[in-house]
Amino acid sequence: MEPRIEVERFTIPMGPQHPALKEPGRFRITVEGEIVTQAVVRLGYAHRGIEKAAESRNWIRNQYLFERICGICSHIHATAYCLGVERLAGVEVPPRAQVIRVLVAELERIHSHLLWLGVAGHEAGFDTLFMYSWRDREAIMDVLEALTGNRVNYSANVLGGVKCDVDDALRDAILKAVDVLEKRTHHYLKVVTTDALFLQRTRGIGVMTRSQAEVLGAVGPTARASGVARDVRVEAPYAAYSSFPVQIVVDARGDLEARVVVRMRELFECYRLVREILDHLPTGEVRGRMPRRVPEGETVSRVEAPRGELFYFLKSNGSDTPERVRVRTPTICNMTSVVRLVVGHQLADVPMILAGIDPCFSCNDRVIDVDRVGRSPEQWTWEQLRAHGVDTYHGHRP
Amino acid sequence: MDTVRNLFALVLFPSGLFLLAASLAYEWVDRKLLAQFQNRIGPRWFQPFADVVKLLSKEEVVPRGVDRTLFLGLPIVGLAAALTAALYVPLAGLAPSFSFSGDLIVAIYLLSVLTLCMGLAGSNTIGRFSLVGATRTLTQLFSYEAPFLLALLGPALAAGTWRISDISLYARDHWLILTQPIGFIVAVIGLMGKLELPPFDAPEAETEIVAGALTEYSGRGLALFRLGKGVEMVIGLTLVAAFFLGGVATPLLFLVKTLGLLLVVAGLQAVLARLRIDQTVGLWWRYGTLLVFVQWLLIVLLREVRL
Repeated sequence: MEPRIEVERFTIPMGPQHPALKEPGRFRITVEGEIVTQAVVRLGYAHRGIEKAAESRNWIRNQYLFERICGICSHIHATAYCLGVERLAGVEVPPRAQVIRVLVAELERIHSHLLWLGVAGHEAGFDTLFMYSWRDREAIMDVLEALTGNRVNYSANVLGGVKCDVDDALRDAILKAVDVLEKRTHHYLKVVTTDALFLQRTRGIGVMTRSQAEVLGAVGPTARASGVARDVRVEAPYAAYSSFPVQIVVDARGDLEARVVVRMRELFECYRLVREILDHLPTGEVRGRMPRRVPEGETVSRVEAPRGELFYFLKSNGSDTPERVRVRTPTICNMTSVVRLVVGHQLADVPMILAGIDPCFSCNDRVIDVDRVGRSPEQWTWEQLRAHGVDTYHGHRP
Repeated sequence: MDTVRNLFALVLFPSGLFLLAASLAYEWVDRKLLAQFQNRIGPRWFQPFADVVKLLSKEEVVPRGVDRTLFLGLPIVGLAAALTAALYVPLAGLAPSFSFSGDLIVAIYLLSVLTLCMGLAGSNTIGRFSLVGATRTLTQLFSYEAPFLLALLGPALAAGTWRISDISLYARDHWLILTQPIGFIVAVIGLMGKLELPPFDAPEAETEIVAGALTEYSGRGLALFRLGKGVEMVIGLTLVAAFFLGGVATPLLFLVKTLGLLLVVAGLQAVLARLRIDQTVGLWWRYGTLLVFVQWLLIVLLREVRL
């Protein structure tokens, strides 16, 4: 009899609760020794029913609801929503308000990228970088607080404009913070491109070619680090981006180092943009008039969040509440690249590659995962749904 | 009289209570220094002690699928081995309590028993994180152990004896860091590997495998293992300081030199990113071992020339 060789499959569950993940998500990593042979992702642990909730709130309240999709990039969610609603309502936003929207968006990008740098350092076991970049990020948090009154979920937008204005004192404070951060960013860029141990964890790791990035539908800095020059701010300028054009930062190498470098170089672009905006602030009102009811119609709104393209679909039935809102966050677009890229890498590289896309699990959880194994009826009764839920969350399937 | 003396050495000084207190103090210094380097405030002075008290008072959960005796016994064996090693080391600048020819090997072996116990403790459970952690712990053990031992044998060669007390006596008149700089560097980095400090913390890399081999441990077992680690740190620092930094003749010298060494170790922890386990193995076998052999060759050649 022939000896049967069975390769034992050793799976390591990462998540839903795991120190590498700051939010719930689940990765089943199959390894042979330390080499990953398969990775399966399961999302949906932080599904909050925001889209459904939006249908029972009026247009104004919804802005604050959508801001809470993401704690890090709340402003960009509100911007995407406001742009869409204003287009439906045919409201003209004053130029000064549009510029301030861009200003806050770029400040938000700075704080998001610095935060990400810290997370990447932490995943690489380089906690010093984590501590330092998060300390420096406080400068931008202070500026945002001075500008809008909040450190997170700043609600700078209102339908028809913005709620905050920039005066001279604030302008100086922002410029000062940007000066400090620019110096620090030069230092960080030097660290991440010269520190031998950090480079060992990033150079040549998780390489995504340009064609892979296009096929997998990667967006944002993840795609730009693979040489895909794609940025909504350039392709379809919204708000004031047509008067303040952005230079796309692209790196063709496609590895983790490229993803770090692209984000660091984007920071310089943010600093330049913030300075330019503060030098050329148009005068005038910061809010326009906004009707309570929005005319019937549907529209699509695309913006560039710090993590990539953020997509909103809005449908109005002419009342003061939306009929349907659909949100697609950049993380869901980039997630497929993670499960593809980790195969063949060391287990130790998995958190790094995952962090490389700057994932935001709670943001992307939009849909409920319905029965994958058995048949999936079109309509579920309450009893069926309940049984399904008990079955799924009880732990092990029999 | 002999019994009293032995009992004193085992329970109070140098092993036992003194060493446990010293290990907690050194753990605090290490954590505080690292925190300061990272622009944090760091723990208060009694935090390591409070941690141990808290862990000791907690329920020890024995998970399903483990050998109960091993699970409960391994932390005790590990800590006992580390404490025993202290008897042969010139702690606090005083002569070792016990000493015989070749006790250097025994002391280093006893320190490795602790790591071995942690590896076994990890592979004893059925948890995935523990198993991967245990594999990494043992892999790391095999990679740093040889270069570390060889580096410490450099002073032994120079002194012409493998007895710790004699080597440290010899080292008082010879700053061996000057004549054996490579050995010193390998010994310090080897010590960091032994203690699984960053950048050699792949066996307990929290972002990958939670707490590594000790993931299933809580309560007393975890407290004992942590104490063992602290004890290992004090003994390791003492050995390196006594061998390479001109000996530790008095308690003051001991304090200054070991704390100075700890400052270097904490600084290295702060500036280095974690190595993957394959990179760790590569580093030790490709560079560490080779460098130590070069050092050995130099020592032997120089001795020949001098004779």
